[in-house]
Amino acid sequence: MAEDYEPRIVAFLCKWCSSAGSDLAGVSRMEYPPNVVPIQVMCSGSVSPLYIFSAFNKGADGVLVSGCHPGDCHYIKGNYYARRRLNLVKKLLEYIGLEPQRFQMSWISAAEGTKYTQIIKNFVKELKPLGPQTKMRRNP
Amino acid sequence: MANIEDLKEEAKKLLREGKVKYIIGYGAGTNGWPAAPLFIKKHEDVDKLVWNPTCVHNLVRFLVDEKRRKARQKQPDKRPVGIMVKGCDSRAVVVLLQEKFIDRNDVYILGVSCGKTGVVDDAKLSKKMGGKKAKKVEVDAQDRFVVTTEEGTVEAAAEELLAERCLECKANFPVIYDVLSGEKTKRPLDKPFGSLEKIESLSAAERWSFWKEQLDKCIRCYACRSACPMCYCDECVVDSINLAVTADTTADEKAQRIRWVQRSAESSENLIYHLVRAIHLAGRCIDCGECERACPLDIPLRFLNKKLEKEAKELFGYEVGFDSALPALISSFRDEDPQDFIR
Amino acid sequence: MEKTLAKKSFPQWIKKLGSWSVYIPRKDKEGRWNYVEADGGEVGLEVLQTTLPPKKILFPQREVFLEFAMTPAGGRETLEVKEVLPDVKPTVIIGARPCEARAAWLLDKVFGGEFRDVYYWKRRDQTSLVGFACTTPPSENCFCTSVEGSPHSEEGLDLLLTDLGDKYYVQSLSPKGEKLISAAKDLFEEPKPEVKKQVKAAHAESEKKIKRQLKDARPIAEKLKGMFGSPLWDEESMSCLRCGICTYLCPSCHCFDINDEIENSSPLRGQRVRTWDTCQFPDFTMHSSGHNPRPDKAARLRQRLLHKFQYFVQVYDKFMCVGCGRCITLCPVGIDIIKVLDKVRENGA
Repeated sequence: MAEDYEPRIVAFLCKWCSSAGSDLAGVSRMEYPPNVVPIQVMCSGSVSPLYIFSAFNKGADGVLVSGCHPGDCHYIKGNYYARRRLNLVKKLLEYIGLEPQRFQMSWISAAEGTKYTQIIKNFVKELKPLGPQTKMRRNP
Repeated sequence: MANIEDLKEEAKKLLREGKVKYIIGYGAGTNGWPAAPLFIKKHEDVDKLVWNPTCVHNLVRFLVDEKRRKARQKQPDKRPVGIMVKGCDSRAVVVLLQEKFIDRNDVYILGVSCGKTGVVDDAKLSKKMGGKKAKKVEVDAQDRFVVTTEEGTVEAAAEELLAERCLECKANFPVIYDVLSGEKTKRPLDKPFGSLEKIESLSAAERWSFWKEQLDKCIRCYACRSACPMCYCDECVVDSINLAVTADTTADEKAQRIRWVQRSAESSENLIYHLVRAIHLAGRCIDCGECERACPLDIPLRFLNKKLEKEAKELFGYEVGFDSALPALISSFRDEDPQDFIR
Repeated sequence: MEKTLAKKSFPQWIKKLGSWSVYIPRKDKEGRWNYVEADGGEVGLEVLQTTLPPKKILFPQREVFLEFAMTPAGGRETLEVKEVLPDVKPTVIIGARPCEARAAWLLDKVFGGEFRDVYYWKRRDQTSLVGFACTTPPSENCFCTSVEGSPHSEEGLDLLLTDLGDKYYVQSLSPKGEKLISAAKDLFEEPKPEVKKQVKAAHAESEKKIKRQLKDARPIAEKLKGMFGSPLWDEESMSCLRCGICTYLCPSCHCFDINDEIENSSPLRGQRVRTWDTCQFPDFTMHSSGHNPRPDKAARLRQRLLHKFQYFVQVYDKFMCVGCGRCITLCPVGIDIIKVLDKVRENGA
């Protein structure tokens, strides 16, 4: 595909940990690819599977959901529900044939600015060879 | 198959004594399919009840209708409703109880056992009969199906005509009941989730082309949703009707109203609709097969829900529809839930 | 104009129709029939009933009416609206059943008249229907003769072909039909004198084979006028799942929904789209105030039957039902329109 294809990633980041971690990366002037559209949610457990399907439907090439590490959730249990629910979403998307690299989940704490940049760098690297996502996109 | 004379006696008693409002069961059909849902209000009509391998319908859907009917009445009749259930259907009742959608006192369960066989698949039956209308289907003493048409009878081994889901049956007799007709014989199970192997063994590209071809057929008639007992939401997420459009509604408001899925039957929209439905049924679908049976375009919908049923079992040790005290699949968790997919 | 066409010349005729978009019924690998674009492939001519009727070609599931976009112009944004009319090549549907063509003829009345639906007519004017008289009923549940149709009805058709064993008897019923014949003039022959008698016999035979009957349809239409409040509807609709299959797959049902589909919210860009809808869905008649005049299944079943067998008769003096039997065959719970109307006829008797 075109050399200048830049994948667009929608990242659902929990406010208390992952979003704070992404802010830390910014404040510390760490460099990472600008392909991310960050969306702050209160908790990874509040991410409905609909958001993920909708992101792909609107043209996202990759979707990331990131929350607090197990045991550290601001709402105590939210990330455990996310862990179960999003596992099912991942299995379902792979089952219908969507490339498994397109949907990812991570635990990123407020102190892990470096980890955030690494996750994004890897994500972009994995998405580039796959090309634009056309399977779930409306009017591809 | 079970002889339901004992069940009919119980039904007559319930109606005579006014213990139930009406009974939902199976009666004779008219359009060529030998069985159809039947609603009995008077005890004299109880003899119209039938039980044979063509009783494929999941009657639990009508419990949802009953609840809606009661909600519209000012002084609802609080008596329970009698319902005939097979093993699979009883698991649907368990899920409705689990979600507290109905109360145990709202329903009087007349269970029937499928014994060593189950119900027939209409496509397989039609193929076997060469398109001739089947007037009657029975099970003989050797557990073979005996089909009667205008021209005589034909025998067939059970596997030839059984619905696919019966070959993976987890409950050939009801798991919850007030009376049970028939034997509690355990069936030797085919490989559980064996039907998924064919699709899971395909490559990702082959799986995509399979699902795309099937879901492109969808005309969004929503029959799958209407036939499913678990799809009882008053407002489904794909309908998004809660914006009342009046003369003052601005174009901006109309444009920004949340529309998760468009109404048109386009490839991407059909896919989103079916994925959303599958996820909403995770941990709730009991594989009654009504969605696939109702679909006029024969889309193999069971395989979408079955995949999540398998993952629920293998990843989280969750079995649907046996224990009404269990919490829902996605509002519970275990410390040992797998997280190898999380970076 | 009447001609005969030898069966072996039929594929050659199809080949000569290159300047039309040709739709034919085709069986898929699971044995289901549907109208698809002929791409040089085989034309299956066994008597059959497709799952989706040809209305999907005249009145597609999704039709774009107009496109709109906010465009920056002179420092401000203005709304541009562009009408999108279907750009349709001349089309011919080969293998339509007479009942399906009759349904198209009924749809013409609905979408025509004083307020013409320009989108429908853009397609309809370009579409020719070539029908095959049914030698045997395509479905167990056919009852066209009970609703003033027949297995060899001509209404709505441009050409009617009757199977006579080794050849077809071809009746041209309109200028569009004549055009189709002139595309391959040499393949058609003048009918021999005994052919007309054979055709008449074949037609009479086919009428006798129709398995299901609805007696006294016209008196039923009259009786329905007084049955709006009858408890019959409640009893008959108890098992209805309100799945909508009966209406989606009916050749003459035509209810639709219009929605704005937004492709992009900023800058605003989208389309106004018409899609199929059904009176059987609970929120079909939902008002913006929240009131719903047809809140229960009884009201909706009544609506379907009255529309087909009474309102249409009152307005157009024709039954809207063409007797194809799809609603009976495909209803997941076996609600049978003939049986319900039988009960209407006997009601109070």
